[in-house]
Amino acid sequence: MLTIDNLHVRVAGKEILKGLSLQVNAGEVHALMGPNGAGKSTLGNVLAGRDGYEVTQGTVTYDGRNLLELEPEARAAAGVFLAFQYPVEIPGVNNTYFLRTALNAQRKARGEGELDTMQFLKRVREKLAVLHLKDELLHRAVNAGFSGGEKKRNEIFQLALLEPRLAILDETDSGLDIDALKMVADGVNSMRDPARAFLVVTHYQRLLDYIVPDRVHVLADGRIVESGDADLARKLEEHGYAWIAERRVAGAA
Amino acid sequence: MATPLFDELARGDAVQRAESWRYSRNALRALSQLDFAPAAASAAPAAPLRAQYEWPQTQGHRLVFVNGRFVPALSDPPGPGCRIEQGADGCTLQLVAAGALAHVVHVALPGAGATRWQARLQLVASAPGTRLIEQHVAAEGADVLGVFDFDLALAERAGLELVSLGDLPGNASLLRRTTATLAREAQLHATHAVFGGRLQRLELGVAIAGDRARLRSRGVFVLRGREHADLQLDIGHAARDSSCEVLWRGVADQRARGIFHGGITVEAGADGTDAQLSNKNLLLSALAEIDTKPALVIHADEVKAAHGATVGQIDERALFYLRSRGITLAAARRMLVAAFCAEALAGIDDAGVREQLAQRAAAHLPAPEAGA
Repeated sequence: MLTIDNLHVRVAGKEILKGLSLQVNAGEVHALMGPNGAGKSTLGNVLAGRDGYEVTQGTVTYDGRNLLELEPEARAAAGVFLAFQYPVEIPGVNNTYFLRTALNAQRKARGEGELDTMQFLKRVREKLAVLHLKDELLHRAVNAGFSGGEKKRNEIFQLALLEPRLAILDETDSGLDIDALKMVADGVNSMRDPARAFLVVTHYQRLLDYIVPDRVHVLADGRIVESGDADLARKLEEHGYAWIAERRVAGAA
Repeated sequence: MATPLFDELARGDAVQRAESWRYSRNALRALSQLDFAPAAASAAPAAPLRAQYEWPQTQGHRLVFVNGRFVPALSDPPGPGCRIEQGADGCTLQLVAAGALAHVVHVALPGAGATRWQARLQLVASAPGTRLIEQHVAAEGADVLGVFDFDLALAERAGLELVSLGDLPGNASLLRRTTATLAREAQLHATHAVFGGRLQRLELGVAIAGDRARLRSRGVFVLRGREHADLQLDIGHAARDSSCEVLWRGVADQRARGIFHGGITVEAGADGTDAQLSNKNLLLSALAEIDTKPALVIHADEVKAAHGATVGQIDERALFYLRSRGITLAAARRMLVAAFCAEALAGIDDAGVREQLAQRAAAHLPAPEAGA
């Protein structure tokens, strides 16, 4: 589904990703871990199409298409979703209106019929029930005045509603208490599907107790330095990222 | 019927020298190159124009003026608590009972060449809970210039909600001078929407003359093309324990030009005044320009006053957030601009009227399917 090959990305003149390669197949959950500054968020932003990230080398192929040449909205319509590390507050834009506009814009771009208000609200209620969310969330402006936890829940709610094929979660667990963390994990687990892939970017192993990944990758200094199964995350938690660095030095020697 | 404002304009030199015309001097000069003939008494407005002001919310309360003249045949009979009188020097409208509502529509119908109209309206509100909707519309065609003097008097403890909409095509210019006087404990809630127009200037002067009187002035302008709007607020507090809350928003796209001057003066002895002014502006193009100047002059002690004015661009983070969810760039821009304007319109009590203004605003926002 997603093939990243030798990706080099520069941000504000500084090289952040230095030859990252990654293959994610449909139905898989990949965890991307790494210390601060390793380039984890950069990868999420590049995949979603944010401005200011200059790809200097390498390719990103999604469903056989060059993902990097698509506008952000075209990527969304193609099924790419980024759950933001810092969801943006948009005062004055009602959450329901935003979600309906987004969903219908994606459907339109895919040549599907738009949902009318009744169809849309039915779908919204189903998703709210699955995620145990209050519908009060819908009447507010997008993320405006939301607590950190509410913002992250809203991201997962959008994920559930928009049903993307490739979901990238950028440190969705940061700043969450254990209940919110479980809710996020439940949301993701309920959406695991042979046709859908997840790339879960995180600092800590904690989230991976609830979302058990198929593959774990360690990102350090702009490239993936170690890949393994779910056990790798536990080893990291035990030994810290320094352990990886030591192993690399030992391997090089 | 010569109005003082029109006389002033006729003495072009004086206007051109005035500091308050500083940013609009060139626009006015260009306008004055045209040879405006007095507008003829005209036929009834065509259906598309009528659709702009035939709101279900004000059915039975409409008073229609065409090219400055009151046209009873196009108007409803005055509603309950509402009286209108036509004098030699313009019309006088009285709102004398709670709930009284009038929707005053000024329709400008262009002639073969450039034409002008002028009108004067006096309004007396003497009860709480009165409402007035002032609306200016114009047909497309040759240049048409309107000059409108509007004097409002709010009696003791009277309350007026004023919703004012100047929604004009690019051939129409409108110069308005609105003055309001607030007696003791009077309350004026005003929302002004200024959309489009070749040149729209609104001078809004409010004399807060009575103790404990309150003014809430909200407003927004939305401009594009080469449209030019100039808002001149001049609020004077001359009584004790009065307040004003001013919240204006401005949006300029393409090569449009907007000016906001927010003047608040607190006279000596007007202790206990609470004056708040917020003006935020959004530039949607590198060629658009907005000048904002809050000017607070305080001669009294024991005054609470705060002001803030900004000119900025659309929030790129918000734009990317919306696009990342599949919303096109053009639709996302439009959504954010509409949200920016919504705060100014949020003060309108009647949801139906608020929606009418939001819809009219939408017609002036960047097109949803335009290119980047």
